[in-house]
Amino acid sequence: MLYTVTGRILDVSPHILVLHTDRGEQRFPLTAAAQAWRGGSISPAALRQGDHAVVRRKLPGGPVVDRIWAQVGRVTGTIIERAGPASLLVDEGPAKGRRIVMIGPEATGRIQVRFPRLAPGYLIDVIGLKHDGFLQALIPATSQPPYRAGHQPAPPMVSGHVPDPVNGTAVWHEPGEEPEDLLGLAYPALDPETSCERGAASAPAAGSGDQHAVDPHTTGPGCVRLPYLSVGSLLRLRNDCTERTRLLPVTSCGATARLFCDRCVTCGTSRKGRIADLTMAAFVELGGALEVGCFNATMTIGG
Amino acid sequence: MLIALREVQIPLLAVMLLGACAAKSWRALRSRSVAAGLGSRSVSASMGPTGLFSLRMRRPAMVVMFVTELSLGLGLIGTAGRIGGAATNLPATVVRAGTALFFLVAVGALNEVRQRRPDSGCGCFGELSDTPVGLRTIARSGLLCASAVATIGLPPLRMPSSPAEAELWLAVLAFELALIAFLSPELGEILVRLGYSEPCELRRLPLSRTMSALHASAQWRKYESQVAAATPADLWREGCWRFAVYPGIVRGRRVDIVFAIYLQARRPAVRAAVIDADTDEVLAPVGTLESAVI
Repeated sequence: MLYTVTGRILDVSPHILVLHTDRGEQRFPLTAAAQAWRGGSISPAALRQGDHAVVRRKLPGGPVVDRIWAQVGRVTGTIIERAGPASLLVDEGPAKGRRIVMIGPEATGRIQVRFPRLAPGYLIDVIGLKHDGFLQALIPATSQPPYRAGHQPAPPMVSGHVPDPVNGTAVWHEPGEEPEDLLGLAYPALDPETSCERGAASAPAAGSGDQHAVDPHTTGPGCVRLPYLSVGSLLRLRNDCTERTRLLPVTSCGATARLFCDRCVTCGTSRKGRIADLTMAAFVELGGALEVGCFNATMTIGG
Repeated sequence: MLIALREVQIPLLAVMLLGACAAKSWRALRSRSVAAGLGSRSVSASMGPTGLFSLRMRRPAMVVMFVTELSLGLGLIGTAGRIGGAATNLPATVVRAGTALFFLVAVGALNEVRQRRPDSGCGCFGELSDTPVGLRTIARSGLLCASAVATIGLPPLRMPSSPAEAELWLAVLAFELALIAFLSPELGEILVRLGYSEPCELRRLPLSRTMSALHASAQWRKYESQVAAATPADLWREGCWRFAVYPGIVRGRRVDIVFAIYLQARRPAVRAAVIDADTDEVLAPVGTLESAVI
């Protein structure tokens, strides 16, 4: 990785960040203008030991760091239970399972402006602080689609071949079972015969909240027509906001992205629909800001 | 001429109403959206005037509209003959007046949809009616309302008495169908669907079909003796092609035999390459993959 480093914070001062990475202990000088995020913009010195951090270098391969995100997490999926005004159980799809989202009073207004229907059956996509067993939601990552989960509009019909390159929105997801520094993306249209839909079809049904849980594999192709690919396929993804491009492999199933027919407005208004769900490392590598949640992207199949 | 014009309206109106029912049923069967009636955008885009109701009321409104159309369509046919004809005029008059009233209400409702939900389709013919409501759609309902009014007081339908009269009927019918087609945004959608062929990148083809095509191909017969496993070691898809890798042994060297099968239902193109399993050196490419559309 040229720009991104992931690890656990061992020590931090106004000028130096010490991380435990897969290469062992590493020290990174901080610029005077270095920014840190831990539930909001803070001084790097205010970061805590033990926090999981994603760090962006100022120059490719250089030692100096200018952005740090600590304990950042994201939950994207369908609300299947609501307990009280502040606690939600969210289904992230067959591959990722279910997560608990807590919305504190300080974030309620901000989130409800963009997600007015915090009710079972509706979609949610929030960014916040990871805690043991739950995500403390702080920032809405998009605007809530006006339809219930699984009822997204049909994509326009395509004649001839699928357009290449494809424009749309690129988002990020938490590593889950993947390595933290994995550069790749979850692709929304994996071959249903050889990839994740095959596994999902045979997966046993879960318990409570199932009447609201939506299997994204059964709800149609979403609002973007993407060619079927497989895990391992290579894609060239361009961040239209930073004009940074990387060749990335498909590393997992991103069918949940099909449920969202939204647009990214990080730099101008993107086309409708999510075309890639990047790993955190890949998102930062392409110049994305994790707290923003998306960037306008152009994707070329096969690189 | 005027009588002929009036007489063709009854079958025409019945076909329009029953066709609308059939299209709505088809949509309901295809997606659970309508059954759920939960107000998704995809539904509201095509449910037309029912989108003016609250989420809770949309499903009942849709059901009422469906039942009304079905009843009027069947009623028009049932009362077209002697049952509702001159002798007992009341049932025919009620059904025809009801049809006129239905289309009159439709004109008002569509105008309201156009003002309040300019992105919504009329939903008249299910998913074919996703085009936002325009003046053409409203004019079509107005035309059908006028047609229904013209049928009130009409004597029982009869077969044409002469070839000349039959020709006149057909000419009138053709003219009116052309007029309705001109006023119907659904026509463009139908033509697109009739000529639509799904791109190969989006085609869903069962794996068993791909494997059957591979095992029936000349490339498979050529390399079958070198294949060392019954099932592929890896299978993946890139757009229009599905790839299968079999381990093999060629003159004592461990190789991977890679087959590429084009995703089409009948007689797909199949290509093969033999690659050294240790060095990834291509030993025997057969054909080229440059023409592969991915």
